[in-house]
Amino acid sequence: MPDFAIEAKQLVKKFPARPGTGDKKANGESSPAPKRKLWLFRKKEPKAMFTAVNGVDLQIERGEIFGLLGPNGAGKSTTIRMLCTLLEPTSGTARVNGFDVVKQANDVRRSLGTVLAGERSIYWKLTGRENLEYFAALYHIPQTVAKKRVDELIERMELKDRANELVEKYSTGMRQRIAIAKALLARPPILLLDEPTLGLDPQAARNLRELIAQLKQEGHTILLTTHYMEEADQLSDRIGIIDTGKVIALDTPEGLKRRIEQKEVIRLEVTGWHDEIGDRIKSISGIENLMSRQQGEADLWEVNMQAHNSRTALPRIVEHISGNGTRLVNMNIVKPSLEDVFIHLTGKALRD
Amino acid sequence: MQTQPLSQPTLSSHLRALFALIRKDWKQYWRYPLNAVSSIFQPLIWIAPVYFMGQAFSVNGKAIGFSQFSGTTDFMSFILLGTVLESFINAVFWGMGYALKNDMDSGVMESNWLTPIPRLLILVGHSVTNLIVTAITSIGMLLLGGMIFGFNASGDVLKALLPIIPMMLGLYGFGFAFAAVVMLMREANTLVDVSSFLVQIFSGSNFPVNALPRFLLPVALALPLTYGLDSVRAHLIGTKTILPLQWEMVLLIIFMFVMLWIGTATFRSLERRVRTLGTLGQH
Amino acid sequence: MRSEMNVKSLALPGFPADVQAFWAIVRREWTIFIRYPSWIIALFIWPVIFPMGYILTARALSGMDGSGLTTFQNRTGLTEYVGYIAVGTMIWMWQNIVLWAVGYSLRNEQMRGTLESNWLSPTWRFAYLLGSSIPQMVSMFMLMLVSGLEYAFLFKVDFSGSLWLTLLVILAAIPSVYGLGFAFASVVITLKEANAFVFLVRGIVMIFCGITYPLAMLPNWMQSVSRWLPQTYIIHAMRTAALSTEGFSGITFDLKMMMLFGVAWLAIGYMLFNMMERRARQTGAIGQY
Repeated sequence: MPDFAIEAKQLVKKFPARPGTGDKKANGESSPAPKRKLWLFRKKEPKAMFTAVNGVDLQIERGEIFGLLGPNGAGKSTTIRMLCTLLEPTSGTARVNGFDVVKQANDVRRSLGTVLAGERSIYWKLTGRENLEYFAALYHIPQTVAKKRVDELIERMELKDRANELVEKYSTGMRQRIAIAKALLARPPILLLDEPTLGLDPQAARNLRELIAQLKQEGHTILLTTHYMEEADQLSDRIGIIDTGKVIALDTPEGLKRRIEQKEVIRLEVTGWHDEIGDRIKSISGIENLMSRQQGEADLWEVNMQAHNSRTALPRIVEHISGNGTRLVNMNIVKPSLEDVFIHLTGKALRD
Repeated sequence: MQTQPLSQPTLSSHLRALFALIRKDWKQYWRYPLNAVSSIFQPLIWIAPVYFMGQAFSVNGKAIGFSQFSGTTDFMSFILLGTVLESFINAVFWGMGYALKNDMDSGVMESNWLTPIPRLLILVGHSVTNLIVTAITSIGMLLLGGMIFGFNASGDVLKALLPIIPMMLGLYGFGFAFAAVVMLMREANTLVDVSSFLVQIFSGSNFPVNALPRFLLPVALALPLTYGLDSVRAHLIGTKTILPLQWEMVLLIIFMFVMLWIGTATFRSLERRVRTLGTLGQH
Repeated sequence: MRSEMNVKSLALPGFPADVQAFWAIVRREWTIFIRYPSWIIALFIWPVIFPMGYILTARALSGMDGSGLTTFQNRTGLTEYVGYIAVGTMIWMWQNIVLWAVGYSLRNEQMRGTLESNWLSPTWRFAYLLGSSIPQMVSMFMLMLVSGLEYAFLFKVDFSGSLWLTLLVILAAIPSVYGLGFAFASVVITLKEANAFVFLVRGIVMIFCGITYPLAMLPNWMQSVSRWLPQTYIIHAMRTAALSTEGFSGITFDLKMMMLFGVAWLAIGYMLFNMMERRARQTGAIGQY
């Protein structure tokens, strides 16, 4: 029996839906709320449920970085919460470090270092050091070991000169670093990072990604969720793409991109775009998944599409664009990225 | 290369965790120093109109009418002891009441619940700090109040501790249950305000309960705190008691066990509910 | 290139517009107030239970044979204490509620994020304070009415005074009670630990204004302090108007003092508001919390 760091089998999580919405699936479809019969005959209506996670299977190897990639609302955070024992699954099982998340919850917590909402998970009226010393005690770390460990982590996170100041005076980046140090305190074999670079400036995000790579070198297994595809691409050994509560693809980044390798991505920058032009272009054979996005305030649109053969498609595309106030400003043919894989699989963009 | 985990749970590591919880709450409390000052001065402000009102009914500082109900003419000593209990009731209703809700609203509840310690221990930690801090501010208030208004305790302080212990344990057991209830409510201020106030009044902190009109007396008699305060006063300033002291002690001990059981059970039920519905971290 | 058409503003400034804006503020504040169900408890329950502590203590002080009560009567010339205490505590409750409700009105808006949106509009800014206090006054008036009825019928208090005089006292009290609230609103929004100030002020009223006892019980130095607090005169006037048969002559002095203080506190409140508003325009600090 192979020993996975994290193993989830058909994890399902349903929440009671708000009244009047009927049964909703995570993809937004809803069966209509049942019509109200005459109150005498009305049986007790079954509670309407919202399915956030709809049968997730995961097998994460020891020592790998696994990226869970998906748009907002896909069920990433709910999945992570079930794995770290904050939430109980409606059905299905999960084992972390060999321990069952429901029946052996404390053993799971001892094996994990988790970073959820970075800024608000630590005490603002304690110093950085006091926060770490406190949590070290809660993780059953022997006292002499704890003191050294805290110093070590403060040094590693480059917080040495601010360690004795109250957290309320720290910047966002610093608070995130304390949160990560907190996760590393007990030197857990497995780390769960939920959107770790969200809200960080580019330099801080870059530093964090380097750290994650280092942690893998040191032997940690890392499960991270993100909706930044470059991040998932750069860091992960394997990626699971999750959408509407299900893992719809699981492979290495290259493996995923190879799926649409036979396709190319045509990226246009256009002024004076109209949706009718898009409709006309879509009717060209071999063109799929056309997406248009306005660039900020200006009258500039970025239009992406996937083509089986760009060479034959291009002249026809240009034909449809010219004239009537529409102008082609720039054009690129690019190799598919993970976002394109996502669009191919779901028909939706990764970022909204 | 496997990473070696540092987490080794033992009995002493659990005690260390409890101590860390207490130390954390303690540090946080004293970093808002105005709270401590307020806890000492507020009760004295509330006593002032009672003092002057008492003067209006007294001759030469002795409340003759009052002694017919209570067994002492020393009105202010009576009131000051009652005020100490009021401080604890306030501390439990407001401090313990909001303990979990504050943790949740400030985002630290998740971090705490992710650790491998039993979650009830977190509440125990809050209770211990609350108890110690309130004891400190109450003693300060009692000393200051004694200087201003006069306080005479001729009785046996050690004997007075006997009823205090089960009373406090029972009160904080109630605090556990209350914390769980408040955490689930969106807007708990009114409930906490009104119930805290009513409990303070009916436990006899401002007057001997036998002065109540007939139809209100059962409310006071149903509150275990009434007997606790009654016993302490009897030990310290020699007032008449509602029931013989031994009976009151038995009632207090029963109260303690019942409340600790209710408090723990309510908390466990909350814990289960949160794990199923995931209200942690969202509000 | 499309030509720009002349855009015609829909705003029509003038006195009717100011009145309309003021009324809109009042209506908004009332709507929000009604939507919090706890106001029912505030209205019916607090006026009864808050004085209860004092009243029951007074009952105990009277003694089983009423000997304490005799002492009280000799000292104060009053035959009953329930109405006496109820009126005094009601005035304290009024000032307390105003300090919290009006005092925090701007700060609450700031925290909700609506202060900025309000201040972007061309309405006279002091109108926001004035406007949000109107519904508060109405609810307070209802509270006093309900409370009076509860005490008259449930506790059998003999309100032998005049209803009209009582109403007159309430009206005369409004400027100082709310002026203090306005002053607070401007202070609260700039201070971090504003709670301490509210506790301080309501503590002073509690100690010095005779809410549950006659002023004669205070040592001389404390009595001189009481003379500087408008609530002292409000309490005295209210008791005279509602509980005694002295009539208008009994309250003329109190009314004069209340008007004086009222004008003073309204002026202070207005001045502090303008200072705060100017500072906000210069430092832009008001929009953030």
